Amino acid sequence: MPAFHAVVTVELKESILDPAGEATQGVLKHMGFSVDGVRIGRHIRLTLEAETAEEAGQVAGRMAEELLANPVMETFRVEVLA
Amino acid sequence: MHASDVGLTEAEYQRIEALMGRAPNDLELGLFGALWSEHCSYKNSKALLSRLPHEGPHVVSGPGGNAGVVRLSQDLDVAFKVESHNHPSYVEPVQGAATGVGGILRDIIAMGARPIAVADALRFGTDRHSMALLHGVVKGVGLYGNAIGVPTVTGDIGFSDTYRANPLVNVLAVGIRRPEHAMGANTAKPGQVLVLLGQRTGRDGIHGASLLASRDFDEQSHELRPTVQVGDPFLGKLLMEVTLKCVEEGLLAALQDLGAAGLTSASAELSESSGVGAEIHLDRVPLREAGLTPYEIMLSETQERMLLVVSEENLERVLAVAQDFEVLATEIGRTTESGELHLFYEGAECARLRTDWLVDQAPRRSVDEPFWEGLAQAPKTESGEVPKFRSEALLEVAGSLDARSRASVYRQYDYMIQTRTVYGPDRDLAVLDLGEDGGLALAVDGPGRWAAEDGYAGGAGAVLRVLATLAATGAEPLGITDGVNAGNPDKTDSYRAMGALIRGVADAARAAEVPVTGGNVSLHNETDGESIWPTGVIGAAGRHPHPKSPVPQNLGKVGDAILLIHSGSRDWGASVAERVLTGRVSAYPRTDLENAKSRLKAMTEWVRENPPHALRVLGDGGLGMTLVRMWAESGPSFGLQLSLPEKDLQEKTRLFFNEAPLQWVAAIPMDKLAEVTRRLEASGLAILLLGEVTEGGMMVLDGRYQWSYADLMARWRKPYEEVHDEL
Amino acid sequence: MQIGVVTFPGSNCDVDTVKALTDLGVQAVVIDYRNHRLDYLSAAIIPGGFSYGDYLRSGALAARAPVMAALRDAVEEQKLPVLGICNGFQILTEAGLLPGVLRPNRHGEFRCDWQTLRVAAESPYFPGLRVGDRLRMPIAHGEGAYYTPPGSLQALFQAGQAWLQYTDDQGQLHALTNPNGSVANLAGIQQGSVAALMPHPERAMHRYLGSDDGHKLLSAWIDGIRQEVGHARV
Repeated sequence: MPAFHAVVTVELKESILDPAGEATQGVLKHMGFSVDGVRIGRHIRLTLEAETAEEAGQVAGRMAEELLANPVMETFRVEVLA
Repeated sequence: MHASDVGLTEAEYQRIEALMGRAPNDLELGLFGALWSEHCSYKNSKALLSRLPHEGPHVVSGPGGNAGVVRLSQDLDVAFKVESHNHPSYVEPVQGAATGVGGILRDIIAMGARPIAVADALRFGTDRHSMALLHGVVKGVGLYGNAIGVPTVTGDIGFSDTYRANPLVNVLAVGIRRPEHAMGANTAKPGQVLVLLGQRTGRDGIHGASLLASRDFDEQSHELRPTVQVGDPFLGKLLMEVTLKCVEEGLLAALQDLGAAGLTSASAELSESSGVGAEIHLDRVPLREAGLTPYEIMLSETQERMLLVVSEENLERVLAVAQDFEVLATEIGRTTESGELHLFYEGAECARLRTDWLVDQAPRRSVDEPFWEGLAQAPKTESGEVPKFRSEALLEVAGSLDARSRASVYRQYDYMIQTRTVYGPDRDLAVLDLGEDGGLALAVDGPGRWAAEDGYAGGAGAVLRVLATLAATGAEPLGITDGVNAGNPDKTDSYRAMGALIRGVADAARAAEVPVTGGNVSLHNETDGESIWPTGVIGAAGRHPHPKSPVPQNLGKVGDAILLIHSGSRDWGASVAERVLTGRVSAYPRTDLENAKSRLKAMTEWVRENPPHALRVLGDGGLGMTLVRMWAESGPSFGLQLSLPEKDLQEKTRLFFNEAPLQWVAAIPMDKLAEVTRRLEASGLAILLLGEVTEGGMMVLDGRYQWSYADLMARWRKPYEEVHDEL
Repeated sequence: MQIGVVTFPGSNCDVDTVKALTDLGVQAVVIDYRNHRLDYLSAAIIPGGFSYGDYLRSGALAARAPVMAALRDAVEEQKLPVLGICNGFQILTEAGLLPGVLRPNRHGEFRCDWQTLRVAAESPYFPGLRVGDRLRMPIAHGEGAYYTPPGSLQALFQAGQAWLQYTDDQGQLHALTNPNGSVANLAGIQQGSVAALMPHPERAMHRYLGSDDGHKLLSAWIDGIRQEVGHARV
């Protein structure tokens, strides 16, 4: 079976407070940058075997649902790299 | 909107209409829903709690405030209280536990006190999911406490299937203040400014109090998940510094933290306890996301917020202090003379209610005398056969979840920051050195299994355990705080079980002459009709006479006599060993409360006047495990040579493993034996000479049972994750 | 002699550090992170804590504060002695004043415990501390795994920058005594006038708190400052 790289990006839901993002934004502003919002997420790169890119994406999505993301407060999206 | 949407019954709705003389609008109904919830109104428990003893010579302020306060020395007050965060911790263990710590710390700060210690009492099931919850909860407690810089100095953990779907996360916090910095929610005057300090308000935890914490878990609970709150210990630290700086500069008229039911309970309770009204402009509340409705703003449980009441003349300075720490401070309204909570949004009135309707008029269950008297009745229970003594039994108990070393948990907590921790979580209690103001001893306990069959005995036992723990270091108790956790109060059995637990706490506290200065009740710890064991977490704060040199908790010196100091009972009911060795939990022994005070006093005075080489309260796992814990501190070069007077093997089991109240294990010089015996027997305590401390890494009992240090420690020190054998 | 204790939003060991310096008879002054001038100080300590909540990467946000630019100038121009403790160590590596980085503990958990350390290199800034000396101090951190790129470790030891290592009670180095996954059990690093360690000397000032070896380390440092300061004035 061919190997695929899939990237799972996990982010806090918009309604959930991101203390790390807020503190980072504060410091960026102090440094003189103009910034209007910082949200910090996780980038997870998976290498997996699958028949098709679509299947790789589905499997990565299940991994995200069951482990990589916390459905209580996070959302995720999956991208399969060529 | 309907009454049931905010967790109220039809009868409660009728009462609201009767009070108001009209139908409430949706926002007003939401405010009633929050404040008349179990979580905020204590509707099922208040009448029971009012029977606890609250008065004592050291009490500065008792229940009703954000935390109880006792006087430690002429120049120092101690504020302390236990609070639960059970339901949120099941939904999201890391953030649930973290916000639990943050919440109780803000209660302490709201009394004008600087937090100096946290203690956690945790209860979990024994399956794999429970271990994952444990992992998350411990991470959460550390996440907040470590980062805000308050040490977690002691704690308590218990396990049972009864907590599988209802883990308990109770956190106790302690703070200190100079008496002149006393602060509370009951000192606001009309015409002062309401300043909201801290985090911008978002849609966090709306309906946390009315729906999540005030009803049982069921299928629908899953949908409440989006209400999860996130703790920000970094902002929490800044909020603490701003608030305490304002307190120290004398800038505040009154102070209230925002906890359950957010701005609703903060504004209503502050107004009601100060006897003022409040006018709040909700459009001035800074928001994290656009479009929150007045309803959402009032009920949001966004963390890290405080409500300050400031006189006009101090306002500028308060805002400047906040700005220096880069913490948002916003003028949102004023106190008034009206006794009403009067809410506006963009200039238009959106709610107008008397605060006493919200706070005092909540329907509450009453308790009559016959019911209260009946709670002390001993249940009819049977205890099974006691197994014969064998050496493997101690290894099994040592490795059991309830008796195991807590090290894998507490080493994830910073327990040394603030550099006062002389005794930390590796001991039975914490002893903190407060320099010129003396010392503070802090003990937390409350085995759930003790209350499983007999809530009264369990409640009383927990109180006696913490007081006996203080006595073992010669500390004088100043007050206790009680965290009551129970099932669905609408069910007769669950309600009665909670009542018996509280009655036991009340009777033991009264007998020992120690006031209960505050606490917390968490009900609806029930899933699919199964209630937890009623569980009372008791915390005690004591004055320590010489905190830099507390009595050791090891085996003393080689050649020392090892004594069991006891009160007569050898009933092993509800002990760890009974559960581990037989799989049963029978009733915990009841004790003669009349003599409790004199026995505790005799121990305290002995320890103060003539300290033994080592002394420990008899803990979980009975005499056997208490010896193991003492040995662990002395190390493998020490050993024990013991003999029990009982030849009967069942009696031996009872003696070695019972957890009956008011017992201690001591190491004293052999030549002091007669003197110590005479002294303690005069106070009604009994002394049993068990043997002596030896060299060489072995514990030998009756010449035929023996255990090596290495074997026992390998069992005792297993981390909690290794539970495969118990799944 | 004035020693500055540099604080950032979220620092939380500053009070303990000031207390320790006061116990040692030194005047401690708290320096706010917005300060631009440090030239009146004899030395500076960056204490432990969770500056900016340890958000993004521990130490990263504090390293960008104005006071750090001033500190860098003082180190470069006046050889100002600087001691970083725990979060202070993380801030100094993020600011580029010490080599390497501190990564999350290998086991993924925060760890608070007593730990024995061994002095691996001597320094004029710590007269009296000899190679092989053992010190017992508390650790309390979640991100203390010292890391330096492959190939750079040998140079670190050769230059005497590998300062303190985690050992067992007898001073023996082995993997089991490494509490966090640091390369070569490294607990402390020094470079010129800047030194830092993950353990907390300010928590080990008295036997009744578990050890007074922190007292020993901090007094050695203060002796070093006195000697260096005296030298500079001659």
